Amino acid sequence: MTGELLVEARDIVKEFSGTMALKGVSLSFKRGEVHGLLGENGAGKSTLIKILTGVYSLTSGQILLGGEPVKISSPLDAHNMGLGAVYQDVELVSGFTVGQNVVLGNEAGGLLVNQAEDHREVQAIFDEIGIKIDISRPASTLSAAETQLVALATLFHRKYKLIVLDEPTARLSAGEVDLLFSLIHKFQAQGITIIYISHRLGEIKKICDRITILRGGLISATLEHAEITEERVTELMVDRSKKDLETYNEGHATDDVVLEVQNLSADGLAPLSFTVRAGEVLGITGPVGGGMEKIGRVLGGIIPYDGMVSLDGDVVAIDSPSRSRRAGFALVPEDRRKQALFPNLSFAENVCLPVLDSLTRFGLIRRNLEISYADSVMSRLSVQPRQPSKLIKFFSGGNQQKAVIGKWLKVEARVFIFVEPTSGVDVGAIKEIYDIILHIAAEGAAVIVISSAIQEIMSLAETVLVIHDGRAVHSAPKRECSHDQLLALSMGARSRDAA
Amino acid sequence: MTETMAEDQARTAPITRAAAGEPLWIRLLRRWGTIAVIVLTGIGFSFASEWFFSFSNFNNILFSMIVSCLVSMGLTYVVIVGSFDLSVGLCVTTTSIICAFMVPILGPWLAILVALMFALVIGLVNGVLVTYGRLSGIVVTLGMMFVLGGINIYLTGGYQVAIGYEETAFRYIGQGQVPLFGLKVAIPVILLLIVFLAAHLLATKTKVGHYIVAVGDNPMAAFYSGIKVYHWVIVAFMLSAFIAGIGGVILTSISSSAQPVGSAGYLLEAFAAVFLGATVLGKGKPHILGTLLGVFFIYMVNSGMNMVGFPYAARQLFAGLVLILAVGANAMLNREEIHLKFI
Repeated sequence: MTGELLVEARDIVKEFSGTMALKGVSLSFKRGEVHGLLGENGAGKSTLIKILTGVYSLTSGQILLGGEPVKISSPLDAHNMGLGAVYQDVELVSGFTVGQNVVLGNEAGGLLVNQAEDHREVQAIFDEIGIKIDISRPASTLSAAETQLVALATLFHRKYKLIVLDEPTARLSAGEVDLLFSLIHKFQAQGITIIYISHRLGEIKKICDRITILRGGLISATLEHAEITEERVTELMVDRSKKDLETYNEGHATDDVVLEVQNLSADGLAPLSFTVRAGEVLGITGPVGGGMEKIGRVLGGIIPYDGMVSLDGDVVAIDSPSRSRRAGFALVPEDRRKQALFPNLSFAENVCLPVLDSLTRFGLIRRNLEISYADSVMSRLSVQPRQPSKLIKFFSGGNQQKAVIGKWLKVEARVFIFVEPTSGVDVGAIKEIYDIILHIAAEGAAVIVISSAIQEIMSLAETVLVIHDGRAVHSAPKRECSHDQLLALSMGARSRDAA
Repeated sequence: MTETMAEDQARTAPITRAAAGEPLWIRLLRRWGTIAVIVLTGIGFSFASEWFFSFSNFNNILFSMIVSCLVSMGLTYVVIVGSFDLSVGLCVTTTSIICAFMVPILGPWLAILVALMFALVIGLVNGVLVTYGRLSGIVVTLGMMFVLGGINIYLTGGYQVAIGYEETAFRYIGQGQVPLFGLKVAIPVILLLIVFLAAHLLATKTKVGHYIVAVGDNPMAAFYSGIKVYHWVIVAFMLSAFIAGIGGVILTSISSSAQPVGSAGYLLEAFAAVFLGATVLGKGKPHILGTLLGVFFIYMVNSGMNMVGFPYAARQLFAGLVLILAVGANAMLNREEIHLKFI
């Protein structure tokens, strides 16, 4: 089935402002193979494929295509060389029809747009691969799963040699996953190489010819199909060296229930109930896009929900971010650049925002109070360099994350929710952020940590909840959980095996 | 398998509800609301003034809106691609001045060519600064506005540049008439309709327009699709300046002169027309046909109110209210989940 080498990566190094995302990665992809790429969050999978598809440039190293060294400096370059990708957060042009999106950038004909011709061609593709979506529908009306399928169909229209699929099943139902697999077999029959990134071991076993496991920016191992077993994969994925350096939450929970959630449900999240006591850290884990992030969004007042949420025994309605904050929730969101920080304001201005009222005199903000408050936050969170007036965008990822947490330090929140608190944070700062989170719990707040990194959950949580496909599949005190068990659960091993 | 289907249905349910569950009248209002307002206003003026509903007044309205309409159509491309062009008004006057200076030297045709080339350069500079220069469209074109204003005064000393009576060929562009179906139609009106048709076809039927829409709608998706995003932004700015330049040439011919001042009116009318036009046919995004109707509406109301006897102040007030109401009503009909855009 597989033949000669198509793409070879040699000693790929990628550095993001001081953080090494890839530390010299060499691997190769054969013509016509499905090559799985595995690794925990931050292991470097996304960085590697974004280098292959021209989104990022490489710091050093070499990429060979069919034996020849190539320079891929933009998605257009990659496209011209026959390298394509569907990213996890795929986007379409919302004002265009499904058909127009499929052929976008690759339309038939010369200067004129021939919509009838394009639509006919797309209809033929849809018929062939069995996607039943009306091609004249505007892309803005598609659900997440439909968007994903349409994005896959665009690959069919282009003559790619290599296709990267980044968590393609994260938003698909079981029937659609079967459709995806039959698509992959069709690609394979045409000699097209597939790089398949997924957290779900069941799928990996089913579809991949070989897998490569990344760990902390390095290659952990490459396995042939026969060698793929749950134990071996989890063992290779876990960064043992990292484990030794980290903290372990022994448990600070008291008997007072702070947060009680009953039959909470939202779009893509089946009803679930849980409680968090004062001083307790509830760790929620599962695959990315599997529904766990919805819990944070519901409690932050960002998306609507059904069910009952009570704080200290009182039922609260959290239908907007401001009501959520007033009720006593502090949400530290995942995407800090977009959702939590003001990049062109200083560190001080960012952390002082929620407490501005206490820093004013006669309604005017006292700059020196602001600076001294920021300075105290920085010393408590050990931010180096201690320059409160420097713009936040010039701080490292770890320090930015500390600033996001620092925003909520003096706010009297009852429940702190951290979503992926260490994504994009350099290793040195991770332990400091863990200490801060545990300190907040020890002071008597209820803390929820939502993270796809199992190791993080094992370090921080006192109680663990695993969400898979929008359902709670496991709930237990951490002492009764093992890392490998949680990883298997979040990859859906148990439910897959049963199916 | 049945479970899978139920799940699929659950996923698609909210979408179908949003599309089909909405009352018919809202859908009709969104699509035809603006056009209905234009037609009803026209009928209203026809009753209020006996001279309003006539071919000659229709021709007058078209004639008076030529330059404004060209500027607005050009601006439409830039707004579609997701930016702003504040220099369109001055692009008209500067092109007009260059044209007026060049006609006696180069003859009419070469002069027009030089003037339009200059317009293209303005658009190119705007586009390159907005893309490769990484500057905001508002800032770049605001700067360009001042630069062109300075060039205008420098070239003319603040006085108008007259076109001689002997330049009959050049004056024919703006002042000539041709008989059409027994009626006399002004040449510039015909030119306007030709440019409209070309611009409309370019925007709706060619890859140029297609990619400009794609870039404006979702630049990230366009980038990942391998579309040259910067390239199309620059093209949009060049189209804007070029069509405004055509307006400048026609203006020079109509008035047999070039004026260094008076560009602000074009700019403001153009923005009003583009955003009013975005509501036509419920598209919610600017399009060339909508812009044409938007300009027509502004000039029709102006003409009608003038005939009925409203003072200038009332006309201005009315134009402002109509713009806010039309765009506001459209925003109400196309309600987004979270609205966090204030530009």
